[in-house]
Amino acid sequence: MAKLTIAFAKGRMQTEALALMERAGIGMSEDARNSRRLAVEDESGSYRFIFVKPSDVPVYVEHGTADCGIVGRDVLMESNADLLQPLDLRISCCRIAVAACAGAIPSELGALRVATKYPRIAAAHFGARGIPVEIIELAGSVELAPVLGLADAIVDVVETGRTLSENGLDIVEVIANSTGRLVVNRASYQLEAEAVSRLINALKGVLKEDESL
Amino acid sequence: MMSDPLSKIPDGMRYYFGKEARLRRSIEDTVMQVFAGWSYEEIITPAVDYLALFERGMGRDEAHRAFLFTDRDGRLLALRPDVTSSVARAAATLFAKQERPLRFCYAAPVFRQQTQSRAEWRRESTQLGCEFIGAGGGQADMEVLVIATEIFERLELSGDYRITINSVEIFNGISERLALAPEAREKMRHLIDIRDAAELQRFLSRYETDENDCRAFTRLTQLPGKRKLLDDARRVITNERSVAAINALEELWSIIEELNLVEHFEIDFGDVSGLDYYTGLTFKIYAKGAGSRVGAGGRYDLLTANFGKTEPAIGFMLELDALTDVLLRRERGGMLAANSDLDATMITGNETAPLLMKAKERRQRNERVRIDLKRREP
Repeated sequence: MAKLTIAFAKGRMQTEALALMERAGIGMSEDARNSRRLAVEDESGSYRFIFVKPSDVPVYVEHGTADCGIVGRDVLMESNADLLQPLDLRISCCRIAVAACAGAIPSELGALRVATKYPRIAAAHFGARGIPVEIIELAGSVELAPVLGLADAIVDVVETGRTLSENGLDIVEVIANSTGRLVVNRASYQLEAEAVSRLINALKGVLKEDESL
Repeated sequence: MMSDPLSKIPDGMRYYFGKEARLRRSIEDTVMQVFAGWSYEEIITPAVDYLALFERGMGRDEAHRAFLFTDRDGRLLALRPDVTSSVARAAATLFAKQERPLRFCYAAPVFRQQTQSRAEWRRESTQLGCEFIGAGGGQADMEVLVIATEIFERLELSGDYRITINSVEIFNGISERLALAPEAREKMRHLIDIRDAAELQRFLSRYETDENDCRAFTRLTQLPGKRKLLDDARRVITNERSVAAINALEELWSIIEELNLVEHFEIDFGDVSGLDYYTGLTFKIYAKGAGSRVGAGGRYDLLTANFGKTEPAIGFMLELDALTDVLLRRERGGMLAANSDLDATMITGNETAPLLMKAKERRQRNERVRIDLKRREP
């Protein structure tokens, strides 16, 4: 059977995703775990793990360079990539939300200035509501924008809400819930059907264990 | 403002040369020879046509991906985004009185200003395809599928491709039975298409009271399979329209078994793209080494009705660019792309007329010549 390449989103989700794989019987050796190599094999030699920036996961999988990937729904929504999404892994739960300074109600403004790392999600959300928005694309520390007056509101992922509240922001509206997803390349799904379904079943088994707890 | 330098090429456009260009030509010749071998006549359609034609043929959304411009009389023109629409029109008009069936093939560049996905970088790509018009039923379906398998054999890809088959009527029957509004229908199509089992089950449970049925149907659409998948489907799907489609697929599968082609085919109930276009059998072709499908096709019995003549039709197309990429990465690609100028006869000489005479003589014997300028003495 061919070796499957799985792309992992580095950072927040990586630890949880690897723990899930480990429980599904697909583990990394101590050596591989401690190494800084960006491509390693799992212990059985049936999988190759690659570690890339979250927003690059859909790119690798859509081109078929990686057969599968584990990445958040927020990233998938933003990338609009044409991928199969057979499993919700229920890891790294968070919300994609609109937030603004406590007390300020931005809906009273004619056009909204929105700072975000997710320009496509923000545009689609406000577009569907017919609210004209000026999107200000930032790479990080988005919570600062309304505080300093760069924007009226932000669209960002919220986990505990602590960063928001410490910066004096409130959630105005939740756009979507986001969790880690298993994504699969369309061609790999057909050509490596056996290996892909083996991976899906292994992960499903772990998710079922969690359900029965 | 700085103007763009002339060296810049528009996004999604490119040159082909050397080994890659030779390989493309060789693949195109191979495919067109197979079509010709099955008596498919080449048809060359206009590169520019009315947008209205493509809107009728491909649906509004797909047609509007095209490069658009205006004719002198103000009508909208499109740079051909697909070939089938134009062939269907010709069948219903130009060839209306001709004896059926019609068999056509083509090799033509198509253009899309908006690509469907980010992985699809090209905005100009060449499609090699065939259309079989005026013949319905399993035999016609199987004729084009067999042609597709012969093409992959001749390209020496026999062990490395897979054709998935489905019928849109299975989905249509189910969405009819659940009485889905257009939006809900599209939602169900999308969930099946991206294989999101959990969401699909949740969606179905709103319409279907029996939870076991929801789970069983979801499982059917998850993974491709062989004959057993048809037996599983019969246990879950009972509406008349879908059952007729399952019967047709089973008939097709029996022929596939008799022809010993089972290893190249899979049944895939999860393939539900292109629903508006197709009316029965649909199929997708995948090849190892290509990140997306290299070909697609199906039955479109209602398309020619748009142009005034209702008749059955089936066809498929292969992406020349995707096939070239697959073969280029293999050793075999080297063989197909041979014929470099290494094996040319060098012609040297000081006087122009005798030199060219020598070259002409060799050319008459069909030899490859290359006139050497360097060795010419002063």
